[in-house]
Amino acid sequence: MSTCENCSYFFPVPKDADDYEAGKGDCVTQKKDEKGQYWLSKPVVGPTEACSAFQKK
Amino acid sequence: MVQTAQPIEYKGKIVEFPLDNPAEKDIPDEELHEHLAKPSTERTRRLKARCRWKHASAGEFVEKGVRAGIERMKLITEAHKASSGRPEVIRRALGLQNILEKCTIVLQEDEFIIGYHAENPNMFPLYPELSFMAVQDFNQSDYAPQPVEESKEIVEYWKPLSLQAKASKYFNPVDLARMYNVSTMEAPSFATGYNSVVPPYETVLEDGLLLRIEMAEANITKAKAEMEKSPWDATKGLDWIHKIDNWEAMVIACKAVISWARRHARLCRIVAENFETDPKRKDELLEIADINQRIPAEPCKGLKDAFQAKWYTYLVCHAIDRYASGFAHKEDKLLWPYYKISVQEKSFQPMTHADAVEMVEMERLKISEHGAGKSRAYREIFPGSNDLFIFTIGGLNRDGSDGCNDMTDAILEATRNIRTTEPSMVFRWAPEGREKTKKLVFECIRDGLGFPSIKHDKIGTEQLKYYAQFSKNKNGATDEEAHDWANVLCMSPGLVGRRKTQKTRSEGGGSIFPAKILEIVLSNGYDWSYTDMQMGPETGYAENFETFDQLWDAFKKQYAYAMDLVIRAKDVSRHFEAECLQAPFTSAIDDGCMELGAEANALSEQPNGWHNPITTVVAANSLVAIKKLIYDEKKYTMAQLMAALKANWEGYEEMQKDFKNAPKWGNDDDYADEIIKDFYEDIIGGVMAKIINYSGGPVLPVGQAVGLYMEIGSRTGPTPDGRFGGEAADDGGISPYMGTDKKGPTAVLRSVGKVQKNQKANLLNQRLSLPLMRSKHGFDIWHAYMKTWCDLNIDHIQFNVVSTAEMKAAQREPEKHQDLIVRVAGFSARFVDIPTYGQNTIIARNEQQFGTEDFDYLKVKL
Repeated sequence: MSTCENCSYFFPVPKDADDYEAGKGDCVTQKKDEKGQYWLSKPVVGPTEACSAFQKK
Repeated sequence: MVQTAQPIEYKGKIVEFPLDNPAEKDIPDEELHEHLAKPSTERTRRLKARCRWKHASAGEFVEKGVRAGIERMKLITEAHKASSGRPEVIRRALGLQNILEKCTIVLQEDEFIIGYHAENPNMFPLYPELSFMAVQDFNQSDYAPQPVEESKEIVEYWKPLSLQAKASKYFNPVDLARMYNVSTMEAPSFATGYNSVVPPYETVLEDGLLLRIEMAEANITKAKAEMEKSPWDATKGLDWIHKIDNWEAMVIACKAVISWARRHARLCRIVAENFETDPKRKDELLEIADINQRIPAEPCKGLKDAFQAKWYTYLVCHAIDRYASGFAHKEDKLLWPYYKISVQEKSFQPMTHADAVEMVEMERLKISEHGAGKSRAYREIFPGSNDLFIFTIGGLNRDGSDGCNDMTDAILEATRNIRTTEPSMVFRWAPEGREKTKKLVFECIRDGLGFPSIKHDKIGTEQLKYYAQFSKNKNGATDEEAHDWANVLCMSPGLVGRRKTQKTRSEGGGSIFPAKILEIVLSNGYDWSYTDMQMGPETGYAENFETFDQLWDAFKKQYAYAMDLVIRAKDVSRHFEAECLQAPFTSAIDDGCMELGAEANALSEQPNGWHNPITTVVAANSLVAIKKLIYDEKKYTMAQLMAALKANWEGYEEMQKDFKNAPKWGNDDDYADEIIKDFYEDIIGGVMAKIINYSGGPVLPVGQAVGLYMEIGSRTGPTPDGRFGGEAADDGGISPYMGTDKKGPTAVLRSVGKVQKNQKANLLNQRLSLPLMRSKHGFDIWHAYMKTWCDLNIDHIQFNVVSTAEMKAAQREPEKHQDLIVRVAGFSARFVDIPTYGQNTIIARNEQQFGTEDFDYLKVKL
């Protein structure tokens, strides 16, 4: 099973961050539409089963 | 082609009016506005070109792809379910925490001020806990949050918990039905959820949130020590419980906001290190990351910090914790200390004045793409607009010195350059204000932005002093603090600063519609033309009013009934807002709430009660026509008038002409003005002033129209001023009815200047001659006009400077006129985004020409 922590969009939350929790990471994705480029970041838990956007590290 | 004003003979010489900017001679009038935008940098040019506008027209979003997000709804609901049994204020804080911890955060290319309030930059959030009806409305629309079934479940969860469910039971169902029809009065805020707030930005910028947390924790420690004192005294000791809960909620909220800001910092770093290929932008992203790591946790140290801290505070108070319209703050005063550090001293975040201008342009674009989750009804009443984003500049400082500074100028330069309809701006006009800044104000107006709208500095300050005397805790504005004001929404001054600001629209805001009230007054309180309902008490039929005074008294009774009801609805809303819609972050950043352990909605230190009469001039002109033609001259009977009105004047064309030609407001006509002055002062203001609201002060009228002059016009039958049923009503609060001010611009000022008593604010729209304003004498004419306006003690004025030729060209080819901006009411809009019905009301406004008599009266030196 692919998990979030093995995805190239997964960035672990540093230990000194206010919202640090073991295994927690930011899922950061790059998007583009007719208005331009933007990035989205959503908190995820590393061992969770990955979504359809999974891209292996 | 370009039109210039014709030369005139004045004081024995021929005065010509060449263009102030000769380069404009080759630009046809039909496309002038398309040549005026000049973003100051390539970055702001790009940002404007890709701006994700959220304007609506006739209730529909203009840009493709705009829709409601579901994320906020899910997170607030999840937190509410999980926090059952905790004190309500803590539940509200945990709700905010859950949103900020788990929400998707957004970073867009090119932006320097970062942060958004929904999971995608094309979306806007919804607030089921505030108004389930608004979400229901979205669920049925093309903008429905997805999956819509989940959104429907969320609505069902909140229905029994809503403000509406809690407040409605204290009202007679008949009264409720009348309010929901929005014909004589606006629907109650406990149902619509439409709101506004004035966040105390100063504490965030000056203290930082870590200090606010320390303050709250120290207060908790002190409170617990007080509770442990011996001997126990329950009359004092139990008061601490509520306060401790409030302080705890403040701590939760502030920590959540800091953590959320730092998530943004982390995203910038991740993008810089993993996605961005441009080394310059990479460095900039790391700089933004540094700012967002420190801000708003720590005090701001430079201008970039201040813009970012302001933006986060705005997002939380106006769009994430709960929805609130407005952008009320005194921007030049708030940012001036940081401008001095960064631009003048260059000791932190060093930059040039031009860099500061670019920052303002970026902020304007950020506001322009900020989406508001307003229901369709509220989108419709701001045609062509996104939401009411209005801030204030200028005026005098606390010590009476000129409040204009180089930050004021940077704001005005940026506004002129970037040409966006939002945010709108208010300039506080004081005779002492420097001319350099007033010239920039004029340039924005001359270029057709429709703003700054101008408020009389002294009137606003005196008003805050007046209200301070009613403060329930005897801590209203001091005489010095009374200088620190900004318009809360379109028109009404309210305090800004570290405490005593207005936290909810239940204090001031909401509408009442005198033209419709006049219509029902003539029919025993019955609305025959729109709702087919009894809309107020039975006050008699017009045919039985033997004297004008009887008609006057009947109006007074109907108006008093509606006013009592709408203010009671707001105050009952306020009561429940304080019980179940607490705003712990807003509380945390207010010095009063922090000191007293109070909740922001509950605490009122400075009363500021107001309500908006909209369509007053149609009612007033109608009363004048009735008095003249029926009671004074006896040319017609009331029975004839009622028959003509019921027929929408069809078959009564000659009669309609007489009623249309009766004296009208705005022509310095003593007959009309005497009646209308009494109408404003004795009824519109006098009746309202007898009401005492939640804060202990009187409620006063703030006449302003938003787009409701169209909406309510369409719901108002034919009126005795000669107007057809369904035609738009008057567009301001005290503006002459469109096209009926025929005696020139100074006659308008003389009429308006007669109304002084029992008023809080009144919106005055004027349309000035484009060729005169763009001539080399434009500023001098306008400046002299403004001095006269100030001397006549008039509260407000705003201008359209746009040619009929260009507006008609835009109606023919809208795609070629994307930068054509007009002033509608308390907001400006892209002309092409306004429905044709509304566009025609702008075109119909009289374009005031100045004649030699006006120049003499104004003492213009040409």
